[in-house]
Amino acid sequence: MTDDPVIEATGLGVRYARRRGWALRDCSFRLPAHRVCALVGPNGAGKSTLLALAAGLLRPTEGTIGAPPREEMAYVGQDKPLYPQLTVDETLRMGRELNPGRWDAKSAERIVGEGGLDGSVRIRSLSGGQRTRVALALALGKRPRLLLLDEPMADLDPLARHRLMGALMADTADHGTSVVMSSHILAELEGACDHLLLVDGGRVRLSGAVDDLLAAHCLLTGPATAVADLAAHTVVESRTTGRQLTALARPHGTVDADTWQTAEPSLEEILLAHLRSPGAPALALAPATEAVGA
Amino acid sequence: MSTPILTGPRWVTVRQHRRVLWMLSAVVATSLAGVVALRGWAAYGADLYPSSPDGPLRSAMDVAGIGMLLLPLLVGAFVAGPMVARELESGTYRLALTQSSTPRAWLAAKITVASVAAVACSASLAGVYRLGWMPLNGTYQFHWADRGPYEATGTVIVAYYLLGVAVGALVGQLVRRTIAAMAVTGLATGLVMVVLGALRWSLLPVRTLTTPTAPGVPKLPRDALMMDLGLTTASGGRLPEGACFAHTRSMSQCPPDMNVTGWYVDYHPVTHYWPTQSIETAVVLVLAALAVRGAFAVLRKRHP
Repeated sequence: MTDDPVIEATGLGVRYARRRGWALRDCSFRLPAHRVCALVGPNGAGKSTLLALAAGLLRPTEGTIGAPPREEMAYVGQDKPLYPQLTVDETLRMGRELNPGRWDAKSAERIVGEGGLDGSVRIRSLSGGQRTRVALALALGKRPRLLLLDEPMADLDPLARHRLMGALMADTADHGTSVVMSSHILAELEGACDHLLLVDGGRVRLSGAVDDLLAAHCLLTGPATAVADLAAHTVVESRTTGRQLTALARPHGTVDADTWQTAEPSLEEILLAHLRSPGAPALALAPATEAVGA
Repeated sequence: MSTPILTGPRWVTVRQHRRVLWMLSAVVATSLAGVVALRGWAAYGADLYPSSPDGPLRSAMDVAGIGMLLLPLLVGAFVAGPMVARELESGTYRLALTQSSTPRAWLAAKITVASVAAVACSASLAGVYRLGWMPLNGTYQFHWADRGPYEATGTVIVAYYLLGVAVGALVGQLVRRTIAAMAVTGLATGLVMVVLGALRWSLLPVRTLTTPTAPGVPKLPRDALMMDLGLTTASGGRLPEGACFAHTRSMSQCPPDMNVTGWYVDYHPVTHYWPTQSIETAVVLVLAALAVRGAFAVLRKRHP
C-alpha cells in the first residue's frame, strides 16, 4: 500500500461568474489512496464543484488539482446522468465501448443483476434507485483507481441505500479502490468512511483520517468560571448553560482533569460544532500521521 | 452494422440516434418511390390529362427543391440541439467525458456520424431530385441556374449539409440550450446559403454580347442565364434598357443625341454551371472546416 495521495490540491479556487463570487477558494488538501473519503458540508458548500474539478470536468480558476488520468477514474454525478434512450444492456455495452481494455463486464453485470433489473428496459423508465444502480455499475465496470461519487445515495429509500452501499463497499474493498463521496447527510457515510474532508463556504474546514480527527477533538465540561483555562487550547465552540460550560476543543497539552470532565465527541458533534462556528480555525491533519495509525 | 468501424464513441452515437438515421433512410426511400411514380404519371398519364401530364411532377419537384434547401438547416439544427447541446443541458456530457475515451473522440464521433449520414442522405436525395428534374430541365422554374435545381443537382448541396453539421457542432457547444442552439444553427446556416446564393453569379466574370440597335434585343445563346441587359453608347457607357423607350416610345429607336450604338447583354453560359458549383462548394467546405476547427477549439478550452 502506497501513501501517495490519490488527489492533491494546492490553492484551488473556482469562480463560475464574476458576479457570483467564489464557489471554492484557497483549498489545499491531500486525500490518501485506497481509502473511502467522505466529502461533507452543507448544501452549496462547493462539494460538487470539488468533485467536478477532480473528475476533470471543470478547470480551476486558480491553483492546481492532481488526480488520476481519465482512464483510471470514474465519476457519478449527483443526478446520475445516463442516456435515457438506451436500454440497461446498451448502457453497459457503452461502458465496454468507451473503456476498451479496462471494462469488467462481470462486476458491472453483477451490480445490475443484484437489483433484479431487466436488461432490455430503457433507462428513461427506471426508478431513481435503479438509475443509481446502473450508474454505479457503469462506474465500477470501468475498474477505476479512484471513484468519485456526488451525493450517491441522496434519492434512495433507506433499504435501497443500505443494499447499494453494501454492494459498493464490497466491490471497492475487493479492488482497493479509492473512493471519494459527498453528502450533506453524515449518517449516510458514517461507518463507511475512514477519511473526511469538511467543506463549508467554499473552504476546507477539516481534513484528515476519521480516527485522527476524533482523537484531535475533545468535549470538555466544567464550571463557567474556569473559562480562562481554555485559552491554552483551540476552542471550536463553547456553550454556557447556567454555571456549566461545555466546549468542543482541540486540546494542546494536558487538560486539568480535576476541573474538566473530558469525553470523546462523535464525528457528527465535531462536524456540527464546526458548521455552527464559521470562525473556528481550519484543521488539516497530514496523511503522514494516519499512515502510522493505519 | 457490426463493422469494426462502428466501435467506441461512434457506436454510442449511432445507438443514441439510430431512430433519426432510420428516418433519413425512410425519407430517401419515400422520395425515390414518389418521384418514380410521378415520372410514370408524366410519361403515361398524357391520355388521361392531355393538358398538363407533368403537372403533379412539376408541383412535387417545386416542393422538393425547397425541401432540399431546408434539409441542411434541419440537419444542422439536429446536430446542434439533440446531439450536442442536449448533452450539455441535461448533464449527460459528464457521463461521456469521464470515460476512458477522450472528449475529442466524443465530439469527433458526433461529427463523423453526422457527416457520413449527411453526405449519404444529401447525395442520394440529389440523385432522386435529378431523376425527377430531368424531364423538366430547362422549363419555367427548372432552369439549371434557378434556385432549387441549381443547388439540388450539383455538389453544393452536399457541402451545405456538411456546413450544417459543422455549424451545429460549434453552436451546440456555445449555446448550451437545445432549442436555442437549434434555432441559431438553422439561422446561421440559412444566412450563409442566402448570402452565397446572392453572390453566386458574381464568382465568375459574365460574358457580354453586343449587337446593333436595329433588329431589337440580342438573342442569347441557348440555356444562358441573363444577368443584365441595356444599351451601349459611343463613349463606351451603359444605359438601362428602357432609356430610349422613355423618349421615342420604341425600344429600338433612339434619339440621335443619346449616341446609342447598340445593345449589350451580360450572361452566364451553361458551361459556367460546374465551375460555379466547384467554387461555391469549395467556399462552403472551407467555412465548414473553420466551424469544425472552432468546435474543437471550444472543446479543448473547456476540457483539455
